[in-house]
Amino acid sequence: MYEEFKRIGKVLFGLGIVGSHSGNLSVRSGDRIFITRRGSIVGDLRPSDIIETGIYEDDSGILLASTEIKVHRAIYKKTPGLAIVHAHPPYAIALSMLYDEIYPRNVEGSYFFHKIPVVSVKHGIGSDESAELVSEAMRDYKGVILRGHGTFVHAKLLEDALSLTSVLESACRTEYLLEIAGRPPDSDVKW
Amino acid sequence: MYGWSGNLLNVSLSDGSIAYEDTPYLQDYIGGRGLGVRLFFERASPHIDPYDPSCPLIFSLGPLNGTTAPTSGRCSAVTRSPLTMTIFDSNCGGSLATRAKACDIDAVSITGRADAPSLLVVEEGTASIVPAENLWGMDIPSAGAALKGRYGTRAGLAMIGPAGEAGVRFATISTDDYRVFGRGGLGAVMGSKNLKAVVFLGSRKTAVADPAQLRFVREQALKLLGANPITSRGLKAFGTPILVNIVNTMGMFPVNNYQRSHTDRADEISGETITATMLEKRRACTACTIQCDRITSIDGVRSRGPEYETVWALGPNCGIFDLRSIAASNKLCNTLGLDTITCGATIACAMELVERGHLDAPISFGMDISDTIGLIARREGIGARLAEGSRRLAESAGAPGYAMQVKGLELPAYDPRGAQGMGLAYAVSNRGACHLRSYILGSEVLGIPKLLDRMLTGEKVSLEITLEHLNAAVDSLSLCRFTTFSLSEEYFSRMLTSVTGVEYSETDLMRIGERIWNLERLYNTRCGFSRDDDTLPPRLLEEPIAEGPAAGQVCRLGKMLPGYYRARGWDTEGNPLPYKLEELGLDHV
Repeated sequence: MYEEFKRIGKVLFGLGIVGSHSGNLSVRSGDRIFITRRGSIVGDLRPSDIIETGIYEDDSGILLASTEIKVHRAIYKKTPGLAIVHAHPPYAIALSMLYDEIYPRNVEGSYFFHKIPVVSVKHGIGSDESAELVSEAMRDYKGVILRGHGTFVHAKLLEDALSLTSVLESACRTEYLLEIAGRPPDSDVKW
Repeated sequence: MYGWSGNLLNVSLSDGSIAYEDTPYLQDYIGGRGLGVRLFFERASPHIDPYDPSCPLIFSLGPLNGTTAPTSGRCSAVTRSPLTMTIFDSNCGGSLATRAKACDIDAVSITGRADAPSLLVVEEGTASIVPAENLWGMDIPSAGAALKGRYGTRAGLAMIGPAGEAGVRFATISTDDYRVFGRGGLGAVMGSKNLKAVVFLGSRKTAVADPAQLRFVREQALKLLGANPITSRGLKAFGTPILVNIVNTMGMFPVNNYQRSHTDRADEISGETITATMLEKRRACTACTIQCDRITSIDGVRSRGPEYETVWALGPNCGIFDLRSIAASNKLCNTLGLDTITCGATIACAMELVERGHLDAPISFGMDISDTIGLIARREGIGARLAEGSRRLAESAGAPGYAMQVKGLELPAYDPRGAQGMGLAYAVSNRGACHLRSYILGSEVLGIPKLLDRMLTGEKVSLEITLEHLNAAVDSLSLCRFTTFSLSEEYFSRMLTSVTGVEYSETDLMRIGERIWNLERLYNTRCGFSRDDDTLPPRLLEEPIAEGPAAGQVCRLGKMLPGYYRARGWDTEGNPLPYKLEELGLDHV
């Protein structure tokens, strides 16, 4: 498992969609969650950076887990996801400050996302509010942007969550380019 | 009511009673496999013999049948299998589901035993039991032609052949368009009821709650099905035998009853070769764009398929690499009503038993098997012993380890020593060694959604469980399993919501799949199945693959099983824990 976390974390950092100590990853196994350690370097994870704790109940692992664990737990409770990537992709964050929802128009983005909801919270990182709102939005959508903060994507495998995060950011980049080219989003989408 | 009809038809062949009731459990079990399993669970004691007249045989439809949802031409039959003695759902494509749904029913539950061979004729709002002595003894094509002549070309037919009449434990139920409820011997249960065929005559259209939304979701789904080379090109171009070369290249293609797992002769029987030498025409089930079905012909033998599993079971697993022989055996099985996988695997088992001196019979690897298939279907000579399936055959020969089966169901054509997750899937499957319960091979071999290292045991438990739930849900929607190569639960839940008007989230769908899986497990544990049955043949656990790309591998099931039980919320013996049953609404069943 560690090898997979390390591999995915390295790619995320290489893509420039997590900072040195930002972003986090997790996988689910039954009622257990394996999540990156609070303050770990996602692009250079070590075995001790993978923390195991419960999805429904706390144990000692909670002391070391990522500050976003509430959000990860809430997503696992409300979706069939087995892996989550939380990243800070710059184009997605920028667009989230302009729109309440994003409809990708590039082919890959529209295939995988159709619509990307943007969620606003008052209380910020790792709060009960962000856990509730992000997870609620993810009942119906694979990827969500927390306004001004970053993306959450769930999938069946960590690599798939990485892939979808990359697709999401690419879609946002395209939308951004269309925006500055004077082609605002169309709204005729039913998804 | 949208999607569903709300009508459950109950038929007793013993006293001729026919009654309708409101269909229960629809929202919590959807239809198809889920509905059939739930109905069977409440109607059959765990001690019931599959051949007891009171044992129900349930044909179950899904809310998407009769709509434009892609691949919505599937349906399920559920009963207790005479081969495995587990609860057993078998799944079938073609046009039967659409025609049955047009009779304004969600399911038909058949009990009893007719005094003489009979038909059940189902129409909209009515049904009748009709004498069929003149059809008894007919093979599938002859019975189909006779029934079409009598009831018209638009009739939907579910028929048994001579094998079902003779009680062969792996007899099929076949449609008139050569699709079959293949596995588990449900045809023998139908035969025990003196029921030759069920004829569906209806014209009702399925009502859709939100046609515009269904149209939109369908368009999006078709884009993905069209963009994926597996569902847009591979299966259409080469049919399921496209897997021959892929699986063989990975050293997972069993030969001679799993004694070897790789061959240098795969090209002789590959999908590419079949397409080049045998293909006449491509066909598709109702509402399907994948089109993996095909009409083939070789040396005047015209038939359907052969499918990948059939090519293997009636070919290399019996030491045969001659497409003419495989095509002839395939046609014979389809004509007589035999499951090609179990039939081939049982013959292969017998061949090894003979080779090792445990059985005296005139068969050996590589020899023509058409006579043996005929003997099995008629239960004559050595065929009577083979008609019991490989487990009973090998046990009676005093060498049970040579039966390549789990819970009595023969393994298909993927050696799990070369894909560890597949080993777990076979072992824990509620209906025995089935490749389709989770099809984790999609990830281990085809890279869907992403490629997992097939030799690793870690990190596969959660995916295995999720896929088991997803596929139970897909079987209950009555869609084809191949859609999961391209579509996720997001699409399935949106299609279900569009058709029924009932809001289903992805999580709802997966929870329903989990409920179905646990209910099946509950039935089996009450039948006496336990952790001891969640295992594999000793060859796969102890004998390393001797040669080829997976050389040296055994299946490390022991490393995966405890984690699987724990992640499922089961105790160490594989029994669902009370909290899990309560969570799924199964605490009082």
